Amino acid sequence: MIRFSTFCMALFGVLFSLDAMGQMTIRGTVTDENAEALIGATVLVKNTTRGTVTDVDGSYQITANKGDVIVFSFTGFTSQEIAVDASNVIDVKLSEGTDLNEVVVVAYGQQKKVTVTGAVASLKGKEVVRSPAVDMTNSLAGRLPGLVVIQTSGEPGQDGARVSIRGTNTLGNSSPLIVIDGIPDRDGGFGRLNPQDIESISVLKDASAAIYGSRAANGAIIVTTKRGKSGKPVIGYSFNQGFAQPTVVPEMSDAVEYANIRNELAVYSLPSEEWSAAWGALNSAGSYVAKDGSTVNSVFSPDAVAKYADGSDPWRYPNTDWFGDAFRTWTPQKRHNLEMTGGSENLTYFTSLGYVYQDAIYKNSATNYKQYNFRTNLDAKVGEHIKANVGVMIRREDRNYPTESAGSIFRMLMRGRPTDPEVWPNGKPGPDIENGQNPYVITTNATGYVDNPTDFVQLNGGIDISNPWIKGLKLNLSGAVDKTSETSKTWQTPWMLYYLIPDSTDANGDPALSPSVRSNFTDPRLREAYGNRLNTNLTAILSYDFTLGVDNNLSLMAGVTREEFTGSGFSAFRRNYISPAIDQIFAGGTVGQETGGGAFERARLGYYGRVQYNYKEKYLAEFIWRRDGSYIFPENGRYGFFPGLLLGWNISQEDWFNIGGLDYLKLRASYGEMGNDQVFYNGRLQEYAFLSTYNPGQYPINSQVATTLYETGLANQDFTWERARNINLGVDGNLFGRLDFTFEYFKNRRDQILIQKTGSTPASSGISTLLPPVNEGKVDNSGFEYNLVYNSKANSEFRWSAGINGGYANNKVIFMDEVPGIPEYQKREGKPINAFLVYESDGAFKDQADIEANTIDYSEVIGASGTLKPGDMKFKDYNGDGKINADDKVRLDKNATPKFFVGGTFTANYKNFDFSMLLQGAFGALFRVQTESGDIGNYLKYNHDNRWSIDNPSSEHPRLASRGDTYYTGGPYGDNTYFLFNKDYVRLKNIEIGYTFGKGFSDKVKIRDLRVYFNALNLFTVDKFEVFDPESENQAGTYYPQSRVLNFGASLSF
Amino acid sequence: MKNLKFFYLIAFGMVALLPMSCNDDFLNTKPLDRISSDATWADGPLSEAFVFNVYSFLGYGGFEEQALAAYTDEAMFTHAGRNINTFTEGAESPGGLAWKSDTYEWGKMYLAIRQANIAIENLPKATFTDTELRDRLLGEAYFLRAYYYHQLVRYYGGVPLIDRPYGLNEDYTIARNTYEECVNFIVADLDKSIALLDGKPEAAGRASKLSAMSLKARQLVYAASDLHDATTAQAKSSTLSGFSNIALIAYTGGDRAARWRAAQEAAKAVLDAGTGYKLDLSAPVSPEEGINNYVSIALGGKSKVGDAAAATELIFQRTHTPQFTQEDNWPLGGIHYGINNGPNGYHNWAGNTPIQQLVDDYEMLDGSKFDWNKPAHKANPYAGRDPRFYATVLYDGAPWKPRPSDVAALDPANQIQTGYYDNGSGGLINGIDTRKSSIEDWNGTRTHYYTRKFIDPDPALPDNQSNAQVIPWPFIRYTEMALIYAEASQALGEEDKAREWVNKIRFRSGMPATTAAGDALRDLIRNERRVELAYEEHRYHDGRRWMIGDQLGRIIQAINVTATLKPGESPHVPYRHDITKYDYTYTVYDNNDNETRTWNDKMYFRPISRDEINRNDKLVQNPGY
Repeated sequence: MIRFSTFCMALFGVLFSLDAMGQMTIRGTVTDENAEALIGATVLVKNTTRGTVTDVDGSYQITANKGDVIVFSFTGFTSQEIAVDASNVIDVKLSEGTDLNEVVVVAYGQQKKVTVTGAVASLKGKEVVRSPAVDMTNSLAGRLPGLVVIQTSGEPGQDGARVSIRGTNTLGNSSPLIVIDGIPDRDGGFGRLNPQDIESISVLKDASAAIYGSRAANGAIIVTTKRGKSGKPVIGYSFNQGFAQPTVVPEMSDAVEYANIRNELAVYSLPSEEWSAAWGALNSAGSYVAKDGSTVNSVFSPDAVAKYADGSDPWRYPNTDWFGDAFRTWTPQKRHNLEMTGGSENLTYFTSLGYVYQDAIYKNSATNYKQYNFRTNLDAKVGEHIKANVGVMIRREDRNYPTESAGSIFRMLMRGRPTDPEVWPNGKPGPDIENGQNPYVITTNATGYVDNPTDFVQLNGGIDISNPWIKGLKLNLSGAVDKTSETSKTWQTPWMLYYLIPDSTDANGDPALSPSVRSNFTDPRLREAYGNRLNTNLTAILSYDFTLGVDNNLSLMAGVTREEFTGSGFSAFRRNYISPAIDQIFAGGTVGQETGGGAFERARLGYYGRVQYNYKEKYLAEFIWRRDGSYIFPENGRYGFFPGLLLGWNISQEDWFNIGGLDYLKLRASYGEMGNDQVFYNGRLQEYAFLSTYNPGQYPINSQVATTLYETGLANQDFTWERARNINLGVDGNLFGRLDFTFEYFKNRRDQILIQKTGSTPASSGISTLLPPVNEGKVDNSGFEYNLVYNSKANSEFRWSAGINGGYANNKVIFMDEVPGIPEYQKREGKPINAFLVYESDGAFKDQADIEANTIDYSEVIGASGTLKPGDMKFKDYNGDGKINADDKVRLDKNATPKFFVGGTFTANYKNFDFSMLLQGAFGALFRVQTESGDIGNYLKYNHDNRWSIDNPSSEHPRLASRGDTYYTGGPYGDNTYFLFNKDYVRLKNIEIGYTFGKGFSDKVKIRDLRVYFNALNLFTVDKFEVFDPESENQAGTYYPQSRVLNFGASLSF
Repeated sequence: MKNLKFFYLIAFGMVALLPMSCNDDFLNTKPLDRISSDATWADGPLSEAFVFNVYSFLGYGGFEEQALAAYTDEAMFTHAGRNINTFTEGAESPGGLAWKSDTYEWGKMYLAIRQANIAIENLPKATFTDTELRDRLLGEAYFLRAYYYHQLVRYYGGVPLIDRPYGLNEDYTIARNTYEECVNFIVADLDKSIALLDGKPEAAGRASKLSAMSLKARQLVYAASDLHDATTAQAKSSTLSGFSNIALIAYTGGDRAARWRAAQEAAKAVLDAGTGYKLDLSAPVSPEEGINNYVSIALGGKSKVGDAAAATELIFQRTHTPQFTQEDNWPLGGIHYGINNGPNGYHNWAGNTPIQQLVDDYEMLDGSKFDWNKPAHKANPYAGRDPRFYATVLYDGAPWKPRPSDVAALDPANQIQTGYYDNGSGGLINGIDTRKSSIEDWNGTRTHYYTRKFIDPDPALPDNQSNAQVIPWPFIRYTEMALIYAEASQALGEEDKAREWVNKIRFRSGMPATTAAGDALRDLIRNERRVELAYEEHRYHDGRRWMIGDQLGRIIQAINVTATLKPGESPHVPYRHDITKYDYTYTVYDNNDNETRTWNDKMYFRPISRDEINRNDKLVQNPGY
């Protein structure tokens, strides 16, 4: 690259000498058609970042060159563009209506909305700020049609949502490409960006992403951060104080309910004709003598059940609410943000400094998330034809956890039996459930700590050179460096719990407790890990915009990008610390030390370009392409070519077009071929699958840990890109100047999907787990999106806007190498990806008569000598052969991911009040519930309330099981439809009410602007699935649930 | 002016093209976390590391959480929902497979065999110069291939014999070889291994010449057994007589006596080459010494409290190190055998617990049978038994390790509590190690017994702690060879030889010599195997090759122990076992908590999965499925 930079320097030398021309200051006012001042209208010099906003009188002042075009815009009004001539006063009247001059960020540039030909959904940063979610991904749900947002955990620091575009298109990795300020694959993604820094977010859903080539198949999300506006410095400060709690705390059985279930289970070991008598005897006497002479005792005696019910002895007979004892009602979170923007003609700046703190719901929580973020975006005009920009982002994400994972904590909360104590009545922590795990303690620092800070330093800079002699020709050189350092320190110390000493009392007359170390280790231990990553990106883009004749607008662009990703890390472990007082690595014992480490390097090179043509902005055509090379493929198949063709027709601009009320109508069509180089299967990125390599492993030999080498896989010299071929048809329009609408239809075919041909390869080959990727998978995905927004009169006192949007995507596996010869109705092919394969539950045998009436052979289910009992589950004999066996499993049409996502927005302004609301819903997914219940753990209240019991026999719900000990709960027949729940939901995702203090107030305290507001996330949910949060994907409930957040905030600017 | 325009256009173009003209070599990144196969076979230590990986398919040996013992009349698996009952209730089918361990599962074994095949293919042409190492590694690879085939053949019968690593896009369909062909293949591999390992260094956890000789003896005694003799097998089972591909699972011709002879000679060769542990006695040791001897063998010389010399007993073992962190993750491995199987009153998980039928098969110390119909036996069934019983089973009142600190107050006497005891005021105290305990009751035994055989009794090693035990898993030990020799000799009518070696084993345990003959001697040898090799993954196969499946499929029996205070006595607080204060009652009962066991002759072999047969249509399913 030495040649490269020397050449650039030389070139700059030439160009610097070309600096010239004068500037002038333009003033004026912006009003509506009734001459009412528009406050806060945007005034921008076209194709620059120079801009300002109108003040309370609607007036502005801006510097521009003669010949520049100034763009005036205001939400709900049609923008106007006015060229600067000799006059330095420009007054503008904007009329209400849809804003066709609105600019949308697309790949490698911006486009006027009217000329956009792709399926692009976009969102302004100010919408994102309405949500108090700490991870920004959660603020996007319901706002962008076609964007699938699923939050599967609410744990601070881990609460980012899984985001995909148009559902799932592949058997492999479905993550879209994230582009931040023009840089693809920025380390850390976009979830943790400061929402206040966001200017806009665009989602490229179709061929418009093709210019990203090998990473475009899953679409792209383009995030643009704010840049400075010239003028007096404006300093803004905002403060948010939020309070969070889980959206759903699973409702568990109480002590009496649990005791009754356990006693029932004791009865079920008897022959069923004795159940009724036995149940009566257990409830009255606590034991029953069976006909064979054996005695069945109740698990909880009648006396004990009575004590659980009346709460007379909370020490020995508690009624424990495990979640309640471990949780606070609300937990705080807060966000501070300070930002400053301003600048001169030649240098503008935007800078922000932020702090986030988020606590977990546990009492004395060791879990919390802290973030410090800093950003500066500078834009400099170096000369008349040279502009430079620099962006600096520094962020620390500091995650703190207890040493026990959220998975362990919530497993214990789900398991905790209501008949056991979590906390003694005197406030001392109760015994463990097992392995020292008592949620009241393992949520705190009593077990040590995990401190996991990650530092991101991200720099990007660029130079734009536009040549004065060839108008429209522009060269952009840019580079980016992302440096990330992550450390993780896990310090584990033994911890103490309190146990009841039987038959003894303390000084207060309460039962005596004895403390005991109950961690499954007694020596403190420390694990530290360090890792760092370095991503670099070098880009050169040449573009040329020109007009042929008067009406033929052409825009050409070509670019090249070189990307490298490297990283390395190591870890060290010591145990046998003599004291928990020193938490440093040197102080550990030398026995049992462990170290580890690793490194990687990855690289990509892409050439790309775009040709845009429009005739009078009426007929639009765009061709984009990329030739991409990725390190992940063998050299002979490393490069792929990815073209996209997009067409648009602004039909309403035709002279003959005259449909009353239809103010605007555009038809669009696109086709693109895109790639996916994220070869994922078995949960791992398959790197170097073209080499015959061995990986190091470990196995004990001769009482030592020996290093082993294991075969990584069979080399395949012949594989390449996963290829997407996506078609999109779209309509944009506007009715009566008020109702904007967009419809999209898409049909995506993904082929050459890299799969492992395990289905047809016999295991006896010895290679079925070593099979390399081959380009054979095929998936179709089709669906539609819509977006309707109605805007009230823009400048009335009460202004409002309402919208509904939705996205439906239904994928279907076309080929994935299935096991040959399995029944048609069990095949994955023809069904959605990961569709459930289950037995169809058909209710329950209500009683013995029901069993006697049964004609279906269950011998393969319960064994030849087994017997059916009342309350057992019935299955449908799907293939009608008179017996239930593996051939009766059916592949359903549904999986665990919703197919249809909807959003509804309403915003309103009245005087100083503003209001906004977002309803969001998802439909079409099923969810498997399988909790660890029985002697080992509590039952969901749902299961208690809906069960076959001796007193209340059901033909719908089966008997409960202890830990999968019935054929329909454990083993192969446990996969049945009874345990599948409908996850459809609609929730009030986001609501905000604000009040902006009037000018009079503000003057007194020298504050330019003061707004106070309240907003909330996940305020309430309507669903049929009341067990866990409907976005949950954890069937046992062993995860930190999604949060509801109430937030109060104030923002002011000076 | 126009020329200038072009100048700039060209200048711009060049700048833009510059990076394109760059060499794209930087895309040829290198994997930093692995090594090429070529480099491996050019280097001794790397080749050795590859062969170590072939060992890794031995997994946890028999120390898996769900032990093979729980598929037999040795043990019951405590936790429901693990697909154990699918097997023991005879409900396993090609479309609904029961629990199967990675140590014998079809696909895993063929993966292991492939790794051995790679080593066997590459080692002869390896370019490193240490030929002793090369031959040793090759000998180990042959041994391991034989071992993994022997696993497959024990569970599935004859299987496809694949002796080279497949490449991509080959025809992978292949028919099963006959049982006889498989035995011959395994024995041939072992003969190569014996030759290659002759005179090579030995290390615990690696195959030696003696390991290969021993595996050969085991394979040969299996080959001579009832199940694998077509005439016998078909006479004893209608399922097998109806199977049209009987050669897949049994010898259809040849001289069965010659097979017994081959087994006898192979075993004798091992007996002559090795020593074992204290197998040179001519009279019984004391019961205490018998317990100590047996405990020491089980601990494999790797416990502070056992005799380190007992390590000589082990011919092929899976060693352990407390640093192998993979075994700290679930499913826990052999270093956590105590957690997997020990009592809940020690915060352990019960796992595989002894069932009454095993307990009853331990003879009395005088060599007579235990009998519930004898009042003295019934009143105190744990008194005066084969010393190996005390070294294998934890029963109510048995002394054991110190309790963990939070339980110590409940049981200062450190005795197993699997009963229910009179509290002196009309109620019961639930034993700490029962399923009604205040300590993790869901991890209590369902049979009222626990295994102790492989749990390190070292009081400094609490089970549910990260300081783990390192007791090795005995794949093959010397005594097994003595038992094979005895079994083959008995079958050949050479009863003196049989009795000689059985008695040596009995003397070491403190048991008297036997004088049994004929079928009684055969049954005694079988019982000796059952007792001596308990929990060592033999019973499953022995019960099958002897074709006594109905024994394996018996309904599980458990015991109920209750204590009532003798008149005038007041209870111990806290409770401890005391026959002077309490009257103990022992009641045997059928336990169908998790499984209602049965036997079906199809269970002699595991089914090949429906999917595998669909992928390879040359495969023939096993009988009965």
